[in-house]
Amino acid sequence: MKTFIQQKQCDATLLDDELIIVDTRYHTITKLNHVGGFCWSLLSEPLTIDFLVNAVKQKYDIEDSQQLKVQQDLERFLSELMNCGLVNHAS
Amino acid sequence: MRRFPAKIGEFIFHMHCKNTTFTEFFHTYFMSHNTVQNEIPDITLTIKDSYGIPFVNYDVSTTREPDHIIYKRADYLISIDNTFEKAEISAYNELALKHALMNLFSAFIVHRNWGLLIHSSCVVDNEGAHLFSGHSGAGKSTVAMLSNPRDLLSDEATIVKITENKITIFDSPFRSDSKPLGEKIQSYPLKSIQFLNQAMLNQRILINQSDAFIQIIDKVFYWPNDSKDMKSIFSMLKQLVTLVPIYDLHFKKDNTFWEMIS
Repeated sequence: MKTFIQQKQCDATLLDDELIIVDTRYHTITKLNHVGGFCWSLLSEPLTIDFLVNAVKQKYDIEDSQQLKVQQDLERFLSELMNCGLVNHAS
Repeated sequence: MRRFPAKIGEFIFHMHCKNTTFTEFFHTYFMSHNTVQNEIPDITLTIKDSYGIPFVNYDVSTTREPDHIIYKRADYLISIDNTFEKAEISAYNELALKHALMNLFSAFIVHRNWGLLIHSSCVVDNEGAHLFSGHSGAGKSTVAMLSNPRDLLSDEATIVKITENKITIFDSPFRSDSKPLGEKIQSYPLKSIQFLNQAMLNQRILINQSDAFIQIIDKVFYWPNDSKDMKSIFSMLKQLVTLVPIYDLHFKKDNTFWEMIS
């Protein structure tokens, strides 16, 4: 199964409960909300989408009936971060 | 060879001019003080004229060589040794020289992890400094003019010292329409930052730190040469937005906006 991991050449800092990520290679800045920041912090090691879905459900107390919605949101989130060069496939 | 010792921020710059082309420029913006004459320089500059062509655009190329960093624009060339103790500037005219000095000073203070040069004007009020920034044409010069008779610490590029618990603004020689405070050289604690928007009514709205960070990083004068420096800028900006309140200032073109700041 595919795993994802943070791009290591980024600096991240928390400001007002939002995570600011600066990619020092391309001088880009990305702002993530609390949920995005939580997922980013987990991605310091290779993880599957299924792992992230379960982690988000647990952290934010989301019911099983919302599983598909969470999975779709995370797929879109990871796709956007990959487009920004902030996340890579680990395998 | 003419020698112009000057204090910029907390640093002593010894500038040596090969000829007299830029003498008036240095007398206007880099008045030397007796106390500075005999101090050991932090950096020694050699300045030459007759370089390149008139201003084309702001594009600067950066090259790292084993012992030097080179910044090159159509109208100026800067060579800085890796220790940042010696540099050479060749410039076409005064405008090119001013921009080259800003380029050099910015690289120098980031290298020292001392502070940042920010595209803005800055005004003294009640023993505190208030910084005004915004997109081109937002009103930085207008605000500076409307703030008379308050002292202006800058009208184009503000010198910002950043430490763990304090942000301090220094008199800037990098000016467009005004002159440095000169003999009155002083520094003031930074009390607020405003992003300017011209409007029919005055309004001042506190903005959150993450939005402030994204807005202000775009206003830092910096020409990338090292990803380590980017980390340093990132860290200093975080300190800045954490320690100083930052506002959107909608202002009408008179001095009444000061009622919302003072």
